[in-house]
Amino acid sequence: MKLRYFSCSTCFVLIMLVLFTACGSQENSQTDKDKQAKLDNVKNYLLEQTGTLDTYSRQLKDAADSYYLLAKNDNFDYTKLVSLQHQQILVALQSARKAWMLASPNYERMEGIVAGVPSLSKYDNILDAGVSGREGGDDIAQVDLTLPTGKVLQKPGNLFGVLEGTLWGTEPTFTVANTFFDYDNNGKQDFGDILPSPDVLKSAADAMSSYVVELQVAAKQWQPTLTDAFSALIGNVPTVSDFFDSWKTSRFVAGNASTQRDFAVISRLSDIVGNITSWQTIYQGLSPLARTVDANQDTRITKGLTNLKTYVQNIEKKENNGHRFTPQEADLFSNEARQRATAITGDISQEAAKLNVKVAE
Amino acid sequence: MWSHRIAVSYARQLLAGVALVFIAFALLPLHASTQSVYPADAGESIRDAFFDAQMELPYDAKIAQQKLADAHTAYQSVLMVTFAADVPELNQRLQMGFSEAQDALVAKDGVRFAAARATVWTTILAGSYAIVEQALKKGDGHTARLWLSLREFRQATRFSHPDTDATVAVDDVIAKKISFADALVSVHADLLDTYQARLTDALHELTVPGNSGFPIKYAEQSALAEGYFTILAPIYGQQRGQKALMQVQQALQNIHQAAVEGKDLDPSLTVVEDAIQNFRAAPLSVTQRTRRIGQLFRFLSLIPIEYGRGVSNGVVTRDFEIREAITFHDGAEAAFADLQNLFNERNASKTQQAKRLLTALAPKLEAATSGKQVVAPDTIQTTTQQLTMLLKEIIPSEWQQQDSNGDFDVITSMLDQMVAAVARKEYDQAEAARLEAYSTLETGPEARLTAFAPQMIKPIEDLFWYGQDKHKGLAYLISHKASLREIRATCDALDIELAVAQKAIMDSNTPFAVAVNAAVIVFREGLESVLILASLMGSLKHSSTRRYQRPLWLGAVLALIATVLTWLLMRDILVSFARYGESLEAIISVIAIAVLLLVTNWFFHKVYWTGWIAQFHSQKRRLLSAEAGQWVGLILLGLTSIYREGFETVLFLQALVLDAGTGVVLSGVGLGLLGAFTIGVIIFILQFKLPYKKMLIVTGIMIGIVLLIMVGNTVQVFQVVGWLPIHMLGFVQFPYWTGLWFGLYATWEGILLQVAAATFVVGSYVLAECQQKRRNNDGNTKSVIPSVKEKSLIVSSVVQ
Repeated sequence: MKLRYFSCSTCFVLIMLVLFTACGSQENSQTDKDKQAKLDNVKNYLLEQTGTLDTYSRQLKDAADSYYLLAKNDNFDYTKLVSLQHQQILVALQSARKAWMLASPNYERMEGIVAGVPSLSKYDNILDAGVSGREGGDDIAQVDLTLPTGKVLQKPGNLFGVLEGTLWGTEPTFTVANTFFDYDNNGKQDFGDILPSPDVLKSAADAMSSYVVELQVAAKQWQPTLTDAFSALIGNVPTVSDFFDSWKTSRFVAGNASTQRDFAVISRLSDIVGNITSWQTIYQGLSPLARTVDANQDTRITKGLTNLKTYVQNIEKKENNGHRFTPQEADLFSNEARQRATAITGDISQEAAKLNVKVAE
Repeated sequence: MWSHRIAVSYARQLLAGVALVFIAFALLPLHASTQSVYPADAGESIRDAFFDAQMELPYDAKIAQQKLADAHTAYQSVLMVTFAADVPELNQRLQMGFSEAQDALVAKDGVRFAAARATVWTTILAGSYAIVEQALKKGDGHTARLWLSLREFRQATRFSHPDTDATVAVDDVIAKKISFADALVSVHADLLDTYQARLTDALHELTVPGNSGFPIKYAEQSALAEGYFTILAPIYGQQRGQKALMQVQQALQNIHQAAVEGKDLDPSLTVVEDAIQNFRAAPLSVTQRTRRIGQLFRFLSLIPIEYGRGVSNGVVTRDFEIREAITFHDGAEAAFADLQNLFNERNASKTQQAKRLLTALAPKLEAATSGKQVVAPDTIQTTTQQLTMLLKEIIPSEWQQQDSNGDFDVITSMLDQMVAAVARKEYDQAEAARLEAYSTLETGPEARLTAFAPQMIKPIEDLFWYGQDKHKGLAYLISHKASLREIRATCDALDIELAVAQKAIMDSNTPFAVAVNAAVIVFREGLESVLILASLMGSLKHSSTRRYQRPLWLGAVLALIATVLTWLLMRDILVSFARYGESLEAIISVIAIAVLLLVTNWFFHKVYWTGWIAQFHSQKRRLLSAEAGQWVGLILLGLTSIYREGFETVLFLQALVLDAGTGVVLSGVGLGLLGAFTIGVIIFILQFKLPYKKMLIVTGIMIGIVLLIMVGNTVQVFQVVGWLPIHMLGFVQFPYWTGLWFGLYATWEGILLQVAAATFVVGSYVLAECQQKRRNNDGNTKSVIPSVKEKSLIVSSVVQ
């Protein structure tokens, strides 16, 4: 009896000691907060966009393959190709351009998420944000292109940029030299009246399709967390100023003096609007939780993103209506956008701090 | 009739009253709505309206006028009442700003309008800052929070994020976590730092060549610079004197005027740039001060260590160690620069002396790395010791409280160096930096994490070493020469975990917390050893086997001596070996398991042992005697079961000593030992009271469980150091406490090896049972578990 009592007491003491020493910080309550926020809609949105991007990238790949086959059948004799297969080439290249022009803004609508989430950010580098090896720096696009001939293009840049440079000739090395292809049949060599290099176009389109599929898989595996969402916003909203800086030196403002390869076809402003849409989607997932700590700040952030989008759209609308902004005006717009983005980022950072969410540096 | 009249009268009054109340309630939302616009919202409206007016000015004066009117209305309806009451001079300045903007608009002068716009905005910021300050001084946290949102932040980029100290401080003061005085310090620090950064940005914009063609931008930035400085002016005056303050203010006015008139800014710009050089508006908060002091001492202590590793016999043998020494010197200088003003206030002459000593180190370190001259490590050591002593004289003891934030800063610094080395494709150096970062964790914060946040240790270790989860471990990536991007991604994930860990142990350095920490570490690490030893001691209770308690005790005593010797080693030496802590634990653990298996086997399966010994009976003189073998085994068991955790435990306890002193830590150690010892005594007594057979079963089960735990933990350590691969189970995750208490980790290697260990022990017992039954069936009557008398006969025959 005594022994049983003793044993029970010992077990009790042991259990209490175990519980005491097993006590750790309650810092690990992130999971509860993750559940409160509605982050599933962020993932669903991303999956929807990647699905659409997959469709467009396949269309682009098909068009590039058609063009490649046409060129190959004529033994890459471009003079012959242009004269004998003009219509077929036109169909293939216009289809490729159309697919690119659908894919690019589609990607921008999810870029904010892809770029901001550590497990997905490498795809942003490859698809849209990375620079060429020639430009150097820390953000070189980690992709090489193996052409059908076996030649390898080392770090040519992000895939959207390579495809744009190939399809519209903003990167002359990706086009067929000294060949004029009259897209609109007006007899003049306008912007974009070039023949893309079939090799580069095909390999870039293949690579894009492949990486988009990988991105889809990665997106399906991604479990969004508050840290992901806040980090994506705080890291990306300030990039509005980078976009505006790029816009200031693009064809749309600097005209023919521009040396930019990218965003010569679609204005950077459209890019910005797409990104803001993805940020709004991310923040919608956070808003229910944010309201529990500061409803006014939550409203301010939501309103700030909406106003920022309207601000950019208004500038874009004027641009599309033919207005050409002076460099000083573009600079003022750019500066103002930076101020607004900083204010929004500041509010989001404060919100994260109030919720005790750690943000990735 | 009279009562009817009264009733009607009452009814009318009642109806009138109800109607009045209804009207009042109907009006209330209207009234409330004019009061419900927050200052930050009004501020944004004013800014936006001003900008719209600026852009419309060249095209549509009417719209521009409307926008300006909107801005003015927003100010009057929301901000003006408070401004007029609390900061009347700023209210006046704002009215003048609006008037100036109106004049510029009428004149269609975009340049003047831009300057007026900037003046209005910065005056609003100055007003908000002053109102927050006043509110905190009055003890009104809610007003402070309301107005704090009307502010700016440092320019955000992809890589630098806005600060949150002021927001957190005001929330904390409302929650009564900190005092109003401390909150004020944090708010000052955050906002003044922000506006000084903005001032610097505005001045920089005035020097960018391309901007000279943008007169509107010039005017705006010059007015912004002047406006931001008005917020910093009181602090500047305090630090540099009123004369210097007036000079700067005059120069900024000149810049403003020159920009508006399109004249040259250079002379006045130079005056301002010189005046604000080395000026720091933001005072250090208590946390920042403690952190900087912690960084200063930590970095200083690491300079001679790194230098010593890189130099041998007057020659530089490892250049990257010298570079690390230089990095830590730079870090110490940066921390000293931030603290210099504070030190000067306490003792100007000693501060100057300290500065000279610190500065004198730089050329010596540079000379070593360039190969010009390699001073002896002792020289560096002496200088840093002198400097440390001097600083301890300057800095009050309450400021010198060791701050583990300094350790996290060092870890971050080493990880940055690791990334930089990877960028240069120098993977060897990257690995050295990684080990350095890890040993800093081991010798610093991990002690506290072990007690207060044990669930964070494994994720951090996985990321540092060979984790195979979403992000692979750094050791794995470096050994596979992974890309910079992959390594950065893991570093980012590690930064997050470290930040959470840092927060978790933030308040764990009070003497009581440290003592509890020490007690918990010693109890937890000691429990396993105590279980093994107490179980065996208790079962070796009979006179014939009691003497086998002696080698167990001897092993335990040797382990304790080894642990004490390890404790007495200089901390610097321990730090040097900290990077090998895991490997040492792994090796000792394997020995411990092997010995435990052997002893367990011997204990339960005497028949094997004696059978084996009988076969070699004729050769016993040539072999090591079985008795001696048993003694060696038991000594080893006692030694390894305690010292297995001894090295790392000592490292943790040393880290705690730095926080709270030896006395506090030893009191915690005593408490932990008492707890472990009590458990041991309880088990010993329990076993003593049990009948022999039951005792054997209980001992067997206990030792079996401990064996499984040891196998699980040893596999985990092997995986941490990369000696075993890691394959996650994948379909299930175990909570952190299963690893902490039962050595149960969700990897195939861990589970399978634990199963194998269990199978081995159980299987050998079953095999022994089967063999015994067969013998019994064949007429042999030897019992598997010999009686006490039989055991003593067996042992005596062996000895002879």
